[in-house]
Amino acid sequence: MKNKLYLILTFIFLIIMMINIPVFAHKVNVFAYVEGDKVYSESYFNDGKKCVDSKIEVFDNQENKLLEGLTDEEGVFSFEVPQEEGDLKIVLTASMGHRAEYIISADELGDTVGSIKEELEEPVPVVSPEVSSFDLKEIQSLIENALDEKLKPIMKEIKKSQEDKISLTETIGGIGYIFGIFGIIAYFLSRKR
Amino acid sequence: MHISEGILSAPVLVTGAGLTAMAVGYSLKKMEHKEVPKVAILSSVFFVASLIHVPLGPSSVHLILNGIMGTLLGWTAFPAILVALALQGVLFQFGGVTTLGVNTLNMALPAIICFYLFSKGIRSENNLIALILAFACGFLAVMLSGIMVAAALVFTGEPFIQVAKLVIIAHLPVMILEGVLTAFCIGFLRKVRPEILNV
Repeated sequence: MKNKLYLILTFIFLIIMMINIPVFAHKVNVFAYVEGDKVYSESYFNDGKKCVDSKIEVFDNQENKLLEGLTDEEGVFSFEVPQEEGDLKIVLTASMGHRAEYIISADELGDTVGSIKEELEEPVPVVSPEVSSFDLKEIQSLIENALDEKLKPIMKEIKKSQEDKISLTETIGGIGYIFGIFGIIAYFLSRKR
Repeated sequence: MHISEGILSAPVLVTGAGLTAMAVGYSLKKMEHKEVPKVAILSSVFFVASLIHVPLGPSSVHLILNGIMGTLLGWTAFPAILVALALQGVLFQFGGVTTLGVNTLNMALPAIICFYLFSKGIRSENNLIALILAFACGFLAVMLSGIMVAAALVFTGEPFIQVAKLVIIAHLPVMILEGVLTAFCIGFLRKVRPEILNV
């Protein structure tokens, strides 16, 4: 019994250590957002370090590879919004066997593609209405640009927080499962003897 | 050093899974009822300890503790590590499901090798020898794990020299850190609870 007590104490000590120091994990993350007519992807390890010079591949929703490239020193890789419809899958491959994916939905892409199409299709109107409708268009695009600027950091934060989850709850849950599984194993072992 | 999904080729994954299954089967047969609490606790320690990372240059590595697990658990290190890795995969998305076999093998095989190499040594009469061997145990366990990760990547087709260099360099600090940690743990155990080591 004393042996087990010692081990339990060590392990409680480890848990306490874990709560007190910022605990980061061993995973890579990639997320992406649209700004203007480009898609920006950001890649980083869970402890915050950026993935530099890591491979990014972009696939369409039929798993065809559309393009690939390397991240820069800030972990960013950007590309123009492709013409293909549907969701895009962005795959990051970092060193030593780490890989992560991010799916950017057609809706997010559609915003930019749609507005570009609108501008192209706009027919040249008659003189006096032309002035007012041109002003409207300008105002609209000014507003959109301003909103993009303001919202970009917020969206980045939201996406980042969605990815970085190592909670104490999950850790304790995991430990519970471990004891449960071994408890079941112990039960079967005891029946054998 | 958990390898993620989608990186390794099928033959590597299957080999890893097969070998791990065999090892786990064997160790479950040998496992005794009264050992189970110890195995469960060390499995939890491994589970939690992998969350403590060592920031390092362009990448990051984490504590593995397979040296300690090997010397304390012997063959039962296999199921202990398998269960902990499976839960890490499910709860934290470390590594993947298909890679469970390979990842377990990469961490547990060095553990059992170090068990056979060092378990006599750390129970020796001389304190200094025991501590030095404990350091070597922790160090070697991580190094072997690194080599196995490199081997898995190489068999999948990555260029050998680059991978090997990267892995060894990246894990050198962890090797040293774990050597020290193992030495401390064994030293502490010898003073406080020498009965544990006589398994």
